[in-house]
Amino acid sequence: MNLAVRDLRRHVGRFMATAAGLGLLLAVVISMQGIYAGMVDDATILTRAVGADLWLVQRGTRGPFAEASRVDPSVEDRAAAVPGVVRARSYTFNALQRDRNGAPLRLALVGLAWPDDRGDGLPLIAGRGLVQPHGEVVVDASLGIAIGETLVFAREPYRVVGLTRNALTSGGDAVAFLSLSDSQLIANDLPPEAVQTERVRFVERLRTTDLGRAQPALEDLALDPRWRAPALPMPPVGAVLVNVAAGQDVATVRRVFERWGDVAVFSQDEERDLVLQGLVQRARMQLGMFSVILTLTAAVIIAMVLYNMTLEKTHDIAVLKLMGTPARRLVFLVLQQAWLLGAVAYGVAFVIGRTLYPHFPRRVVLTPELLWAAPVAVLVLTTLASVLGVVHALRVDASRVLEG
Amino acid sequence: MEAVRAVGISKRFGDGDGAVFALRDVNLAVESGSVVALLGPSGSGKSTLVKALGLVQLPDEGDIHLQGRLVVSGGEALVDVGRLWRTQLGFVFQKANLVSFLTARENVEAACEMGGERDDVRGRADELLRYLEVDHRANAYPEALSGGEQQRVAIARALANRPSLVLADEPTAALDSRRGRAVMELFRRVAHEQGAAVLVVTHDHRALDVFDGCFEMEDGTLRPATRTSSASR
Repeated sequence: MNLAVRDLRRHVGRFMATAAGLGLLLAVVISMQGIYAGMVDDATILTRAVGADLWLVQRGTRGPFAEASRVDPSVEDRAAAVPGVVRARSYTFNALQRDRNGAPLRLALVGLAWPDDRGDGLPLIAGRGLVQPHGEVVVDASLGIAIGETLVFAREPYRVVGLTRNALTSGGDAVAFLSLSDSQLIANDLPPEAVQTERVRFVERLRTTDLGRAQPALEDLALDPRWRAPALPMPPVGAVLVNVAAGQDVATVRRVFERWGDVAVFSQDEERDLVLQGLVQRARMQLGMFSVILTLTAAVIIAMVLYNMTLEKTHDIAVLKLMGTPARRLVFLVLQQAWLLGAVAYGVAFVIGRTLYPHFPRRVVLTPELLWAAPVAVLVLTTLASVLGVVHALRVDASRVLEG
Repeated sequence: MEAVRAVGISKRFGDGDGAVFALRDVNLAVESGSVVALLGPSGSGKSTLVKALGLVQLPDEGDIHLQGRLVVSGGEALVDVGRLWRTQLGFVFQKANLVSFLTARENVEAACEMGGERDDVRGRADELLRYLEVDHRANAYPEALSGGEQQRVAIARALANRPSLVLADEPTAALDSRRGRAVMELFRRVAHEQGAAVLVVTHDHRALDVFDGCFEMEDGTLRPATRTSSASR
């Protein structure tokens, strides 16, 4: 006869309500871990998605995600010429916020090196990659924007041609992929008034130079909106991504780039660590501390619930002892109830997670590790939490039954 | 055969001048198949004697034999007390003290299991409930049973492990006189039909004719009592 089940059967309503409450608490604990896992995944998905062996960023910086990085576009061609390099691509990353239908629209623009990179490697769930270098964009489905809709950046329309899943920044913002030139156009966009002001200032600076005084006609060119000085550099890119040919030693190629004075080199793993340590570390610690506090809270609550359940049975336990019930059976009475409570609570937490987590504003990732570690943790937690109850059960004096 | 024999058992509570002797050199023997009453005023040591004989509260001194086997010597238990409770002893209390989360049948089944019943635990439980004429309430929880029904289930439970000694501490205190007498007669039946020795602590002098023998306690000492003298009190 299983005494634990018999007892719970008698108070099934209260037991289920208690388990549901604990389930909610466990759901919060699990969500903390899931939010952290989601944050890590979000932070690293961009570095994983591009599939580069080496990242060339501005010398002295740890860009492009951890901080601003400005790399001369010529680095792309120079890198492509290095022996062992099979592919070099420019890469830009810019965060922006716009209003859309009265609500803020936060995005990270990632420039793809058209025509080499059209977004075929992106985690597309609908639509396609880019087929033209201008006016097309692939966005993350979390934005809720459908294929065919239009976004306006820098006063120009961009048609959504593809949707990705979970292409997010470490901050949880959706990523929009478009051609490198489009991303730079948007990133460097200035209001017309600012452009006009810059042109006037350019003319004024020109007049102070010998060239301007000798060639007054240059002023007309400077004020012409269609003209661009051929000597002005192309806008810098955030990074250059390098793929090393199969069979080539990445370390050997890396040593070549390390001798260049204008770039710093990071491997894929190093770039991932930079993102995690730089952007996610504090949030990770914050969530970790919350998790510890919540876990301790859950442990204390479970311990109190189990202790009270045992306390209520003190007289029954005394009777059972006088019937000769072995101590191990009384221990199992408390332990089995603890485990059942934990199992039901975990089930509730699991259902809550599956139902509610997808609607959380930040992604909650229930990794396989978390899904098997959580029930083990619940088992350990409930076992430890039952110690008070077990000790009480063992201390119950059978003679109290005879005291009327 | 003697189901229980106590030799020179004493029990003292407290130390020094404030010490109270609950049992003073008590000697007692109860034969198997007999039902014996233990009388005495409150505080005379009846419950302490029952606790000592049931090894619930061991005496400070003296020996106790169960079924001819020495189980307590010099106030020390020589056996696994829990095992003894499971296999040789049955307790009935003033309150029925049924396990609240078990039905009447399950209370008896649990005791059967503890007592080592392996086959047909349910059959044995039903048989006992029928024997005590409470089988129609087998699936009821204790709180749904009347006082008399609870007490009958408690007796069934006490008999579940086929005990050699049943200790009953004021089992009729919570019952009216009619039901109280019925319970006492039940004990007599149990003793005579099941072969168990039954020691009943009682204040109820109206049903003393049911018992095969009577003892009286006063200030921790035990002496034989006649039904007449006891009944006249």
